Amino acid sequence: MSEKIYAWLLRLYPSRFREEYGEAALELFRDRASAEREFFARVRLWLDLLRDLAVSLPREYGRGQPAFAATPANIRPSFYFAENGSPHAGALLTGALLSLIPVFALAIPFGQYRVPHLSFAPVRRPLYVRRSPLAGPAHKMPRRVNHPDGFQILPAVMLNVPQEPAEVPKLDAAERRRVVQTAVSDLKQHYVSPAVARKIADALTAHEKAGDYDGVTDGASFADLLTRQLQDVSRDLHLDVAYVSGGIPDRPIGPRPESTARYRQALEQENCTFEKVAILARNIGYLKINSFPDVAFCRQTATEAMTKLNGADATIFDLRDNRGGYREMVSLIAAYLFDHPEYLYSPRDLVTEESWTRSPVAGSRLADKPAYVLTSGRTASAAEQFSYDLKMLRRAIIVGETTRGATHSGVFYRIDEHFGIGIPEVKAINPYSQSDWAVVGVDPDVKVPAAEALDRAVQLAEGRLRK
Amino acid sequence: MPKRKLDPLPWAAFQILLALADEDRHGYGIMRQVEQQTDRRLRLGPGTLYGSIRTLLDEKLIVEVEPRGEAKAGEERRRYYRLTAAGRKLARAEAERLADLLRVARSKKILRGDYV
Repeated sequence: MSEKIYAWLLRLYPSRFREEYGEAALELFRDRASAEREFFARVRLWLDLLRDLAVSLPREYGRGQPAFAATPANIRPSFYFAENGSPHAGALLTGALLSLIPVFALAIPFGQYRVPHLSFAPVRRPLYVRRSPLAGPAHKMPRRVNHPDGFQILPAVMLNVPQEPAEVPKLDAAERRRVVQTAVSDLKQHYVSPAVARKIADALTAHEKAGDYDGVTDGASFADLLTRQLQDVSRDLHLDVAYVSGGIPDRPIGPRPESTARYRQALEQENCTFEKVAILARNIGYLKINSFPDVAFCRQTATEAMTKLNGADATIFDLRDNRGGYREMVSLIAAYLFDHPEYLYSPRDLVTEESWTRSPVAGSRLADKPAYVLTSGRTASAAEQFSYDLKMLRRAIIVGETTRGATHSGVFYRIDEHFGIGIPEVKAINPYSQSDWAVVGVDPDVKVPAAEALDRAVQLAEGRLRK
Repeated sequence: MPKRKLDPLPWAAFQILLALADEDRHGYGIMRQVEQQTDRRLRLGPGTLYGSIRTLLDEKLIVEVEPRGEAKAGEERRRYYRLTAAGRKLARAEAERLADLLRVARSKKILRGDYV
């Protein structure tokens, strides 16, 4: 080890010295190192070596080429090679990399170069844009304005926001100031906790005074920075500032008939995201559902699926790939599992008549049958509501992984042409505990890797049915 | 006439010449001998040692010689150095210069004792 270090240090010497004496110097080091093994001797050895480097390095370089010293001043310049022989490939590569550093160092502050971010948007189903606050930059789109009850899953085709403009305008100090001030006043007015809103306002104002925003000319970066600061103070992942390069219309974005039709068509093609409805061995019902789609389009699909499962002795709801959706659909499916109306808690929604399931469902035989819910780290939003409430009501056993920890972000306020802020306005009282699944997710009753969850649930159900 | 590199003679170079005065030695041997003859005050590091050796070789004050007959296995590739006549002469001249200095120092009562 220490020999390697010294071999490396030897590379500091001029190549001529290394060629002639590098091996001998290393050998001297080896001899001394093997003779001086004791701790203090070792320390002394290294001190000697460092002093030796300090003394001999300048001398070796000063020795240089005799031609340098001999060059008379005041005549036309002449050039000498300090090294004989051409540089090797490693040296060329190092040189190339080193020369790139100043280029990037200059390019980044001038905003000419942006690190391309990887898009994790689903490839197979590009029509669904998760409006999770945890979504990356690829998902930066405005939420539907004043939509009080929908969960994350909003069809992008319904938004009609023009994307990718010809050029992205640079932020100036005035706009940054306007964005911060409007965001602060929106928060004070609308955020569910006025005390936290004041704390956020103070923090943002302090950041602004400290000059933390100076030089941020890129809208998306500025929105991300503000979002981070909002969440740092509030510990609320549902607060976020969005930047829409294509511009946010200054009136509410409503679905246009043709885009609604496209959404509907997409749902039809995907069987309303009901991926699989089946009866497994031992008469165990299995439903894999990858979102909780709009009841307006998918009521029939959902009813048919539940009817198919009706004769099962136990039911497994596979939500491992379910990213959320509409609470009405959550309620519609959960209703089959109860023989009386049951309150389904949702942290960001006002308590209304819709908060109770329409139970009992005529003809349902599932109300007294065991139920299992499969979860994964991807299970999000409305799917977490389904898991959380059934778990808290002790109506289902959750098998799999802790869920994602996303609830919808509340109401989207337009700040200006490009910026908007999502503010949770409502916090329903949780009948079960102080906290909901926001950020922390829903913990499973039976913790197993998502890939093993189905086998485990089948095992559990079989065990239960045997009794 | 080009300026001589060894005028004045550096301390390390002088010690190396002295170390080679009684026998041929390799690099590590020189280093140990110098350490011994300076009462462990001077331990030459590889850079200083081989830098000095190179200069001494350039000035033909020492020469590289074949390893001695009794060299053990594994020591064959070590390079041994031997003092030349010019090297011996220079070392003596340097020693005399120092001896002169000592005499002056003694006469000025800066140094006591029975040194040279």
